Amino acid sequence: MYQFNLSATKSYMEQLPWAVLTTLGLSALAILLSVLVGLVGSLFRTSRWWALRFLGGAYVEVLRNIPLLIVIYLVYFGLAQIGLRISGFSSAVIALTLNAGAYMTEVIRGGLAAIGKGQFEAARSQAMTPVQVYRYVVFPQVFRIIYAPFGNLCIGVVLGSALASIVGVEDVTSWMHTVGSNSFRYLEAFLMAGSIYLVMAQGVNLLRIGTGKYLLSHSTSATRQ
Amino acid sequence: MQFDDDVTHYWRFFLSGTLTTLWISWLALMLGGILGTVVAHMRMSRIAALRIFALGYTEFFRSIPPLMLFFGSYYGISFALDVNLNPFTSATLALTFTASSLMAEVVRSGIESVGTGQWLAATASAMTRLQVFRYVVWPQALRVCLPPATGVYISTLKDSSVASVIGYIELTRSGLLIRETTGSSFDVFLIIATIYFVINYGLSLCGGALERRFRIVH
Repeated sequence: MYQFNLSATKSYMEQLPWAVLTTLGLSALAILLSVLVGLVGSLFRTSRWWALRFLGGAYVEVLRNIPLLIVIYLVYFGLAQIGLRISGFSSAVIALTLNAGAYMTEVIRGGLAAIGKGQFEAARSQAMTPVQVYRYVVFPQVFRIIYAPFGNLCIGVVLGSALASIVGVEDVTSWMHTVGSNSFRYLEAFLMAGSIYLVMAQGVNLLRIGTGKYLLSHSTSATRQ
Repeated sequence: MQFDDDVTHYWRFFLSGTLTTLWISWLALMLGGILGTVVAHMRMSRIAALRIFALGYTEFFRSIPPLMLFFGSYYGISFALDVNLNPFTSATLALTFTASSLMAEVVRSGIESVGTGQWLAATASAMTRLQVFRYVVWPQALRVCLPPATGVYISTLKDSSVASVIGYIELTRSGLLIRETTGSSFDVFLIIATIYFVINYGLSLCGGALERRFRIVH
């Protein structure tokens, strides 16, 4: 009979904060970079030139249809074979960014698509600079539309970052695997690591719901349409 | 990029890996569809405890990385229950749970798309709750559910690549084995990536076609 014993994981507790930080850092870095990729990607997708539109569309479709694990392997093993040796952490960041960037492109594009051309023209005719147009007219409206899918995407990145453990990044999943294979306490380790992911994902989720509530209570009838 | 002769010699393994991937994802989608339908009905139940359980269920599997589920079902269950789960069973279990939480949301939105007026009309026609579902709600919900269900299949197919880490020989694992034999990583993973892309892109096109075909014009 299996004796459930959570204290068996005690001797591995020292490494846990570092593992959590690794997961958080990896995810944060990938989210930040993927926003940049998404901005560039959505510009490509809405460009006047068909070549750029095609490039943007191809990037989104390819990366959305290939498993993240394969992207990680391609970056980690593939680049090593053609002479570029990079660490597991860097390749995980690159792969996660490429993957999330494709989704981010679509999220941002969807947000921008909802803003009519007339608004740009109206704002410009008020002598707003392009920066002002984006700061005061475009961004507040786009944010309302994309905050929810953006939150989901952030959860996706945190969960996807678990795959980094396969290329040797010592994150929460890797910690679980170490505890499990050393002490054979897989179930306890699973529960520990699982609840950490649960807290992280639900934290983002609650933040997203909170943002929605805030936006709803602070919106005037004009912005609510 | 010059393709290594060696790699293409292994086309049989690529093929069998592809078929295995398609099969296990399909199996998980079907089992997940059944489980997801049950969870979706719990989510809309009149009993609060069932609703809370269903919400917890979908949120739990939405918040746990698939990789952890594979580890959990392969090692965790084996040690805890002292049973020997083979990689196939564990992978199917993990994929089924992930798929079921996605399918629960798909089924729920499908059922909610059927207007309340139809419920009232069916109940007024002296139909029992089961009859309302069987003859009024489910047939209409199905056409709303099918297009997003292809999305769940794509997502399950992608998740199934993670089954390679517990030693289940599907497409990704086949690729890793071929890589170990031939030593060429880039070619192998490029082929694997292309296969996944072709399958999933084809499926997403099918999903788009289904969506146009089944669109309900109001």
